[in-house]
Order: sequence, then structure tokens, then C-alpha cells
Amino acid sequence: MTKISIPIGPQHPLLKEPLSMKVDISGERVLGGSLRLGYVHRGIERLAQKRNYVQNVHLIERICGICSHIHTTTYCHGVESLLKVEVPMRAYYLRALMCELERIHSHLLWLGILAKHVGLDTIFMHVWHDRELALDIMEEITGGRVLHGANQIGGVRFELDEAQVAMIRAGVEKLHTQVEGVLDVIENEPALIARTRGVAPVSADMIKKYCVVGPIARASGVDVDMRRDNPIPPYDQMEFSVVTLPDGDALARTLVRVYETRESILLCERILRDIPDGPVSTRVPRKVPAGEVIVRSEAPRGELFYYLRSDGTDKPARLKIRTPTLAALCLLPEQMSAIQVADIPVVLAGVDLCVACADR
Amino acid sequence: MIEGLFYLLLFPGLVFQVVCGLAYEWLDRKLLALFQRRVGPPWYQPLVDMIKLFSKEDLLPEGVNERIAGLLPLLSLSSVLTAGLYVPIAGFSLYAFEGDLIVISFLMSIPTLAYYMAGILSKGIYSLLGGGRSLLQYFSYEVPFLISLIGPAVMAGSWSVEGIMTSQYLLGPFILYQPLGFILAFVGLIGKLKRDPLDIPSASSEVVGGSLTEYTGSKLALWHLVMNMQAVVGIFLLINLYLGRSGMSNPIIAIIIFIVECMVIMGMLSATSAVFARLRIDQLAGVGWRILVPLALAQLAFVILMGV
Amino acid sequence: MDQTNIESLCHKLKSQLDCTFDLYTEIRNDDTFVISPDQLKVVVAMINEHFNGIHLSTITAQQREANAEVIEVMYSFFQGVGFSLMISLPTKAPEVTSIVSIIPGADFYEREVAEMFGVKFTGRRETPPLLLPDDWDQAPPFIRNEVNND
Repeated sequence: MTKISIPIGPQHPLLKEPLSMKVDISGERVLGGSLRLGYVHRGIERLAQKRNYVQNVHLIERICGICSHIHTTTYCHGVESLLKVEVPMRAYYLRALMCELERIHSHLLWLGILAKHVGLDTIFMHVWHDRELALDIMEEITGGRVLHGANQIGGVRFELDEAQVAMIRAGVEKLHTQVEGVLDVIENEPALIARTRGVAPVSADMIKKYCVVGPIARASGVDVDMRRDNPIPPYDQMEFSVVTLPDGDALARTLVRVYETRESILLCERILRDIPDGPVSTRVPRKVPAGEVIVRSEAPRGELFYYLRSDGTDKPARLKIRTPTLAALCLLPEQMSAIQVADIPVVLAGVDLCVACADR
Repeated sequence: MIEGLFYLLLFPGLVFQVVCGLAYEWLDRKLLALFQRRVGPPWYQPLVDMIKLFSKEDLLPEGVNERIAGLLPLLSLSSVLTAGLYVPIAGFSLYAFEGDLIVISFLMSIPTLAYYMAGILSKGIYSLLGGGRSLLQYFSYEVPFLISLIGPAVMAGSWSVEGIMTSQYLLGPFILYQPLGFILAFVGLIGKLKRDPLDIPSASSEVVGGSLTEYTGSKLALWHLVMNMQAVVGIFLLINLYLGRSGMSNPIIAIIIFIVECMVIMGMLSATSAVFARLRIDQLAGVGWRILVPLALAQLAFVILMGV
Repeated sequence: MDQTNIESLCHKLKSQLDCTFDLYTEIRNDDTFVISPDQLKVVVAMINEHFNGIHLSTITAQQREANAEVIEVMYSFFQGVGFSLMISLPTKAPEVTSIVSIIPGADFYEREVAEMFGVKFTGRRETPPLLLPDDWDQAPPFIRNEVNND
């Protein structure tokens, strides 16, 4: 059969954000593909050099809508390391609470998208309904569902009172039941399993060669998680398990994320139980002393890398951000060979694209 | 003459079928929404959508033959309308004749072929893919569907849909004797209507819009109308072949039973849409030829042997 | 993996390569080895072999001040603990060998550095633009004169 090249993107029902892929197919077989990013490139790194550190918190939050909080957390942690200030422990715990809620909402969002692409619209609707629980909690405590404005340099900008803690506990408990139900469906739904089992398997070797991070790596048996390996407080004091599966196919990538959601819910409960009292922020000077720092943290999609250099003024001299989606996209053209056309949505969904993150 | 026009244009012709088609679309969307914990659209939504779509700009890619592109949905519309004239509605049938079952099956296949041609015509890559898939799907479900239409005909000893329906007055609904045939006809109907789980030709995540990707405006509105009316005629056909009421002479009760049977089949269609995932085209071909066709043949053989 | 392993790596690299290279400890959390650009490929190959597949976090490039003479390129790795390699390239003609043949995952990072700083990576296929538009005809964004407002 003749080879034809179909364009996926920049506008396509499969993509939430613009991305351009040219996939070569022959009949129902996919031969390969090439990738082009840059449709959402805003030049964040350059913009950050023109704004002071406080303004940059707001700029960096807007890199991505789904993982906005982890970006600001990582950035603030970097600046606080340069300032050598002591951030109160309560602030760290509150940041972690928001991080875990964000991880839950991001994974549930992803699960709905995968179900929709496979044709299981009903699961999509139900999972997003459950996701609203996490978003409602985030809105209640910070005022925003997507962009929270929760972090500031030196701590957080919100405080929890008794009533809110009770509300969060109730919400997390409800989430727990719902996610257990979702897990039950995903593990036993024959159509979903048939569409994802054995699709585009990725070996641990490939993961290492292409330096892929996050749930995709963990689904191929590579045990790496920045919360455990390079922890920002309070993760160095908390116990949690890192989920890995050996198969490396699309089903493993699905299950890893759902198990991680369950782990995050348990982590939320632990955070609420162990959170210490105290202030939620400290005063910090405007000018940051000269220095350089590298911060690594675990975003919902994997390892987030920040390099920050200060030259003694109130504006950063260099800010470098490497988001996990960029690492995962390296692997995508490889994954595209030797699958069927009907598997393209499943493979694309498995990458968990956040193109705004990748483009910055 | 006036009577003929009345039948053609109002009942059971154009207006009645359009109204039924819109009602079907609304019921479908509302039921699906209820399954998915949503509210769903108000009753006038399909009508409003159709009016709005007719008022939109009608564009086609450069080089596409506009006349044929406009002719294809009209052709499908007229074949579905004609098929609808021969299907009895709550016992009221007009132009029935011996052999109209075959004519109906033929007329109902025309929209599928027109859909394929519409895809080939539009030159876009997604239309080509969608059109090809629709033909592949057609080969997988049409054979078991047709075989399951033969079963009631053999049992009733008649090739007219009205004849099959009336013979159920004595014998009782055929679903009792051929439940497998009903299920296969139901699955075939899902394939014909290109509904989830057999909406492979228009799987939006893979081929954007399928054959109809490039269509807008009144042509697209006509295509939607064709799909809806095809559903209505298909449901009526299924009711008459398998769920014929037994011995009701009171027309009011007949109408009520007919409406209830329509609702039941609609509910089943929506439920299967909500619950099942989309099959891959190779999986469908496998299921169609390895499972559905043998089952259909077995059911037919059973009916023939029983009749002897 | 911990600090002592980094020191053993440092020893191993020093002993197997003729030239000396310094440890740049200014970067918090990551020990950085300063090497010369022609040693890059050898060192990366050695690191990759030593750890049996090293994870490259990213490749960062920067100029210490506007209109500087050098571009510094930093390769950051992670294996239980993070460490980096830093090389300096002249701004006028920045050229360095590509490490894509050793670590295929470096592809996107090299492309980004190439288009943002104008660095040429030799020994790999063409570096098509990753983030900038196809018709970008001005100087690489990070090298432009500070006065010339972008």
C-alpha cells in the first residue's frame, strides 16, 4: 500500500494544546513520525530576566495550567536557597498538600482524556466529575481552581483554619472512595484493557537512553521519583511508596498513574495529620545575593528541573526550566513505529502531553 | 392525488419522519447524558441545531465537485424516506407489497455507500480514511444484519414487512422464538447507524470527522438528518420484524405499545453507547466474520428446521 | 548513590584523562566539573559507561553577562544525586561535538541550545528549530544586544 503522511495538529481533536506531528502510515500501520513544537512558545526564560523575583512567581505560575503549583514551588524553593532563609515547616507542608492535590487532579484529567480517546465517554464524564472534588478543595483553600497564587517567596499565601481542615479531610475521604471505584473499573474493563495491553511497549533500556522521566519511566520498571531521591522538605520526612510496573506498555502507563493517584490521596491524609503549627511565611529581602542553584522536583509528569542564577540584583540573571513533557516527547517518534493507526490516540495519551510546559 | 401527497409529505412521509428523527436525536442525547451524570439538552435542541446548521456558510475544498457533493445527501434522504413508507407504523401500513423487505434493505444501504462516496469526493486525508473505514465496517456488519432479517421472513412465510407483522398476531412476537436474531439485528443496526461502539468511521480522535470532515452548512445538516431518519426507520423495522404486537385491535393501545417499544429499543441503543468502548477496525472485522456470521447462520438454520 | 561515588567518579575521570579539570562547587545541590570542549564526548562516554546508562536532566547554556566573550554550556546529570559538566565556548564561533550518539535523549536539549544561543553541534543530523518559528531570521534570542530591546 502506498505511504501517506497524515498531519496531526496543530489543531486536532486528540490534542488539547497545539503541536505538529507528521505521521507516515501505510494502510493501518504506522511507519514513523516527526515532531514540531513551538506553537505555544512564549519565551518565559527571557521574560523572567526582565522581571523581579516577586513578579516571576506570577509569571512562572502561568507556564502551565495543570501543573502550575509545582512550578512556583520549585522556583520559590530555589530563590529561598539563594536567600538562605529558613522557611517555616508549616509552609512546606501546605505546599506539599497543594502539590499532591495537583497530582491527583492532573492524573484524573489525564485518565478522562485517555478514556475519551478510546471511546469510553462515560468513564471520561465520571472521572472528571470526581476530579471536581479535588478542584473544589483547591478553590476553597486558595481561591483558584487552576491558577492558585498559593506560593510566595518565603512561604505560602494562605492559611487553614479548623473548618477548612475538616472540609479537606472530608473531601479527601470522598476522593478516596471514588478513586477506588475508578481503579476497580480500569482494572476490569475489557475494552480498555484490549485497547491498551501490549501497545507500544517501551523497555527500561530505551527509557534510560532517551532520559525519560515520570510515570512513563516508572511504568517500564525504572524506579525514579524526585520526591524520594532528591526531596524538598517535607518529603524527606514523609513515608510513601513509589509505584513501578515492569511491562512498559500503555496499560502499565495507565495503571501506574491511577495507583499514584491513590498514593497521593494517602499522602494528603498524612500531611493533614502531621502538619505542624506555626507561621506560614517569613519576610525576605528583595535583592537576592549572588549565587547559583539547581532544584529538582517531581511534577505530575516527572522530574522538573530549575536552574537559577542570581547576580545580586532583584532580577534573575538566568532562569532555565526543563519540564518533564519535553523529555517524554523525545521518545514519541520512536514509539510511533510499529503500531497501528487506531493505537495513535492511546500512545499519544500515554505521553500525557502538556505542550505549554514543553514550549514555555 | 391529494391523499397521495398527504401520505408522502406529512404522514408517514417527510414531516412525520423528520419529527421522529429529531425526537430520536433528543432522546438519545438526553439518555446518554443521564448515564453520564449530566443534565442533557432541552427538547428543542436538535431542531435548533438543524436550523442553525442550515444557516451556516456552505464551503467545500477547492476542486470538489459541488453538484455531486450536494446530490449525495439528497439521494440518501430520498432513499431513507422511501424505505420509511413501506414500514408499518403501529399497524398502519400503506404501500406494502410482497418483497418490500428486500427493497427496504436495499434502500437502507444506499446512505452507507453515499457516505463512502462523500468521503472519497472530499479530497481531504481524513475524509479518505473515514470513507475507507466505513466501507470496511459495512462489510463486517451487513451480512449478519441481512441474515437476521431473513429469519422472521422465513417464519412468517412472507417477504413483506406488513405480512411479517401481521403473522405475529397469531404466533406472538418473533423475539420469543429468535432472540439471537433480534440481538444480531440490533448489533447490525448499531453498525448501520455508526453509533458507539461501532462509530469507527467517524472516530473523532483518529479521523477527526470521518467522511464528513469537510462538509458544513446545509449539506452537513442534510447528512445529520439522514442519519437520524435512518435510525428511525431502522428502529421501526426492528419493531415490526421482532416485536410485532399480538392481537391488539384497538388502534390507541397499538400506538401506545408501539411508542413504548420504540423507547425500549432507544434505551438499549443509548445504554450500549454509554457502556462500550470503540472497537478497532481489525477487531470488528474479526468479531463480525468469526462470531456474528456463524451465529446468524445458526439462527437461520434453526428457524428453517423448526418450520419444516 | 551518594557523595562518595561522585568523588570516586572524579578520581576515575582525573586518572584516565591526561588534563586536569576543576570542581566548581558554586552551584548549590550539584557538583560541577569544568572540562574543555574537546574532552566532552570522552567524558560523557565514560560517565555513561560508569553508571551503565546515565540520566541527563538537561543542557543549559548561558552568558555570564551581556556581550560576554564566552557561552557556558552545562550538562546536568542525575543518578541518586545530581552533578554537572560545564564547558566554555567562544561567543563568536561556538562549536562542540554532539553527544546524541551516546545519549539519544540529548536531541531536544541540543536543538534548543542551538537555536537560542547559536551553538553548533557537530556530528549529528541537522538541528531544525525546536521552539522558534521556521522563518526566524534574526540573531539567536539570548545573544542579542541588551540595548536592542526585544
